[in-house]
Amino acid sequence: MTDQVYKHWLLALAASGLCCAFLIAAAGQAVPAATGPAQAQSAATSADLGEAVFAANCARCHTPPMTLSPRITGTIVLHMRTRARLSRKDEKLLLQYLAP
Amino acid sequence: MTNTSANWWRWLRGLQLTPRGSLPVIIRLLLLSLCILLGYTAGAAQDDLRARTSAGYVPVISGAFAYIQNTSGGVQSLVPQIVPVLLAPMGHSLLLESRVEFTGFFQRESLPSGAFSGRFAGKVYKTVDYAQLDWLADSHTTVVAGRFILPFGLYSERLAPVWIRNLQDMPLIYSIGTHPYGAADGVMVRGVAASLPSASIQYSAFVSAHCSTNELQAVRAAGGDASVFVPSKRVEAGLSYQRTLEGYQINNEAAYLSWQPVRASVDLKAEYDRNHYGDGYWIEAAHFPQQFFVAPDFFRHVQLVGRMEQFFVRNGGGNGLARVSEKRPEAGLNFQIRDDWRLESSYGRLLSQSGNSNTWNFGLTYRFVWPLWPGRKS
Repeated sequence: MTDQVYKHWLLALAASGLCCAFLIAAAGQAVPAATGPAQAQSAATSADLGEAVFAANCARCHTPPMTLSPRITGTIVLHMRTRARLSRKDEKLLLQYLAP
Repeated sequence: MTNTSANWWRWLRGLQLTPRGSLPVIIRLLLLSLCILLGYTAGAAQDDLRARTSAGYVPVISGAFAYIQNTSGGVQSLVPQIVPVLLAPMGHSLLLESRVEFTGFFQRESLPSGAFSGRFAGKVYKTVDYAQLDWLADSHTTVVAGRFILPFGLYSERLAPVWIRNLQDMPLIYSIGTHPYGAADGVMVRGVAASLPSASIQYSAFVSAHCSTNELQAVRAAGGDASVFVPSKRVEAGLSYQRTLEGYQINNEAAYLSWQPVRASVDLKAEYDRNHYGDGYWIEAAHFPQQFFVAPDFFRHVQLVGRMEQFFVRNGGGNGLARVSEKRPEAGLNFQIRDDWRLESSYGRLLSQSGNSNTWNFGLTYRFVWPLWPGRKS
């Protein structure tokens, strides 16, 4: 085969690898759905845990905002997850605390 | 036939007319499926979170305004600043973010006699702090591409924004690890390596290419940062390393500590940096008197700040650092009018081998977070 064909196969392989990476990432981010009263109690606990995550991580660098519109909370937490190097679990707890 | 469908038809015909058989078709189809998959995974993850919270993901314009009046060694400067930050999420796994600084620097015009006139003159400087695409690949890893702030030490990445820093004067050792541009153009991997109830380990590693494009300048470099955080004690300790890979290939190293005792409203931070041109440290304490015996509601908004710092010159200094050894004790008194407005004041005394001087700062900062367009409200 010519170099050009090798190049195409390599590109195809790289694209497939990226697809697999996205699939793995998506699988890692899957969260089971929550329903029922037991989950309601669990949500209250999550909010407490979220407050602890907020106090430990966000307040380490800056004063907490008094108000944050729910419509932008997801974007801000996404930004802070990158900045503060938070885990996916911490991000979820923060969301449940800031925008229950 | 509309323009869009005509373009698609041309694109499909192009697939069949490609001279090298079916291989380009495979590549094009894979790229197409990649785009679909990206949209699907991003949308699915976001919908899942939305099902459990009321959080919205509309684009945001955030940032700060600041106006600082600085007097250093008897020379007065007026420094207005606007720092907008754009956050544009694309689903739940991709975030485009950018921060630009517009800083005015105005001083009294000097007359031929050497005296200062009553007029202020100066100019506005513009810098792109970062313009990056974040891919939240999994729970522990975020891949960042584009222009990003160098992950070095505690100050440059986390405490430098004008509305976060407790004292407006940058530390004397700020240039170590950030000189000359403070940002890198390349790829960074960052995240949390382990997140346990007892402790978490955070990391960053990057490579940067040389870039001479205006506003996006960067030098070839590589480095990383690692820190351990103990939530029960609210203590964080970290190390940073960076090597410049062009010109004089020097190493930059940093060690830092952050501690917010649970039972006291005190914030302690310290950093030690060193490179070929010098080394030094800063240690800062900030305190909000939560239970003051007089007017506690008023004093809850008052912040007392103290910082001590020293720089020791090596090999003649320079490269953004002083040419002589210096030290500076500094104290600040801030008042948090609301969570977004803050009045600032500080006094520092620079003790230098080339002469001592006083530094005064008075100012106001305002931080804002605005949605760029309407979205779900509850």
